[in-house]
Amino acid sequence: MSWDWIGSHGPLIGSLLGEHLYLSVVPVVLGLVIALPVGIVCARYRRLYGPVLAATSILYAIPSLALFVFLIGITGLRNETVLIPLTLYTLSVLVRNVVDGMRSVPEPVRDAATGMGFGPLRRLVQVELPVAIPLVVAGVRVATVSNISMVSIGSLLGFGGLGQLFTTYGIQLNFFTTAIIVGVVLSVALAVAADALLVGLQRLLTPWAPR
Amino acid sequence: MITFEHVTKRYPDGTVAVEDLDLVCPTGQITVFVGPSGCGKTTSLRMINRLLEPTSGRVLVDGEDIRQRNAAELRRGMGYVIQQAGLFPHRTVLDNVATVPLLLGTPKREARRRAAEQLERVGLPAALEKRYPYQLSGGQQQRVGVARALAADPPIMLMDEPFSAVDPVVRGELQQEFLRLQDDIGKTIVFVTHDVDEAVKLGDQIAVFATGGHLVQVDTPERLLAAPADDFVASFLGGDRGIRRLTFLASDRVGLDSADVVERPEALGPLREAGRRWALLVDADRCPVAWVPTDSGGDGRPVERTFNPAADSLRVALDSALLSPAGRGVGVDDDGRVLGTAAHADILRAVTDEVARTGRPRAGALS
Repeated sequence: MSWDWIGSHGPLIGSLLGEHLYLSVVPVVLGLVIALPVGIVCARYRRLYGPVLAATSILYAIPSLALFVFLIGITGLRNETVLIPLTLYTLSVLVRNVVDGMRSVPEPVRDAATGMGFGPLRRLVQVELPVAIPLVVAGVRVATVSNISMVSIGSLLGFGGLGQLFTTYGIQLNFFTTAIIVGVVLSVALAVAADALLVGLQRLLTPWAPR
Repeated sequence: MITFEHVTKRYPDGTVAVEDLDLVCPTGQITVFVGPSGCGKTTSLRMINRLLEPTSGRVLVDGEDIRQRNAAELRRGMGYVIQQAGLFPHRTVLDNVATVPLLLGTPKREARRRAAEQLERVGLPAALEKRYPYQLSGGQQQRVGVARALAADPPIMLMDEPFSAVDPVVRGELQQEFLRLQDDIGKTIVFVTHDVDEAVKLGDQIAVFATGGHLVQVDTPERLLAAPADDFVASFLGGDRGIRRLTFLASDRVGLDSADVVERPEALGPLREAGRRWALLVDADRCPVAWVPTDSGGDGRPVERTFNPAADSLRVALDSALLSPAGRGVGVDDDGRVLGTAAHADILRAVTDEVARTGRPRAGALS
């Protein structure tokens, strides 16, 4: 371990950490924005769900590296080349969880809401979505943690956040282990911190859930 | 008043859930829909608030075809209570109850104030207001469900097996409270159940449905027990029909005799000589103490049940007699003071007289 290197490269490590966070969180937000309407529609029209699920599963099965390389041809060497695949992966996790969340609303609850005079939109916003939160947040946690680990692959394109510590500063510099260790430790720490934050958020949003 | 006019509900697969239903549910009364599963009772209920639409025929509320009304608005004017309560898990008890007033645009503070009132009315302590549904027992959840349905003070209440999912003891309590509540509020209630005893206990009017969605008989509980329309209704009503009918006959005309009521054991001698084997010992307030043998041999026996002629049915009077070693029912006043006793035979004579005299049912079941 070269503590000197760490000390002198603080700003670099910080900016890589920032990039890592950006590259893993933005796809989660985009994925959620897309997955919510898709999932809601799939939960309502069951026939759509099968094909949608198949499509997202196929996306999920494509090796990420292949997708990155394929996208370079379209989007070039930019942030988006990393953001798009991660968004697609997030989507395949979240659509499933949004549908499960909507299905977790007990039938009597839905029936009571309708019977008391909730229209479809009001019922969705005031009853079904709030009740679906625990399962949706569970999906967001999985997607966030898996994105944080997957961002590193982007380092092969030069956009990999902490992954750069493995490639540019590690392997390419004669297996400079300090950089590699710093990269691993910070990636794991980031994942743990993000997950803890989401657990906290869930407790805040669902004081009503038995635990 | 809710009116079904030739209402039929047929599903696309050809199943007929309700067939040509003609029925009037009078204002301010409890109409119970009862029948085995698959008889169309719930389907009929759900056509009142347009959760289902009839294939043909009309449903009218106070003479107006409900299809003229916007479905959501119609529903806000009808309380809706279901078996699993269907409370919103993400809202506190208070906010659950405030749901319909909020939908109707009542300001939040006012809606919550009314919700708190309703919770008190159904017998829930204010301490539960801030709880979430998962923290309540099944019986408490049902009470919240009833409070929620009442919160906007709708003239009509639709109740689909509201007490079926709780244990028998709690169910009994909920039924009693429900009747007491209805005495206060006088709503037009449609109540679905598969339990005949519940129907007889709660209904002003009972509609018996048979499998296939046929309405077989509509009558008061008393008339239903006295004269079932056919074998199906008779078998559905079950055993003890005659005994259960006694619930609807008042015991106020039972002749009471106080000759065997004694305050001091010294008075037993004359009774023994008069051929009575048992005497009812009372205290200084004339409250019953025990049945004692007049020949001073053997122990006294407890008075297990008394009846109040001003309030109880002949069923209670007869039960009191059957439980007494003397074969005599003990009549008491509102304060529990003994008015006198009556033999089985006197009580059975009162049954005959009462059936002959009234010939017509009473408004509701006595205890």
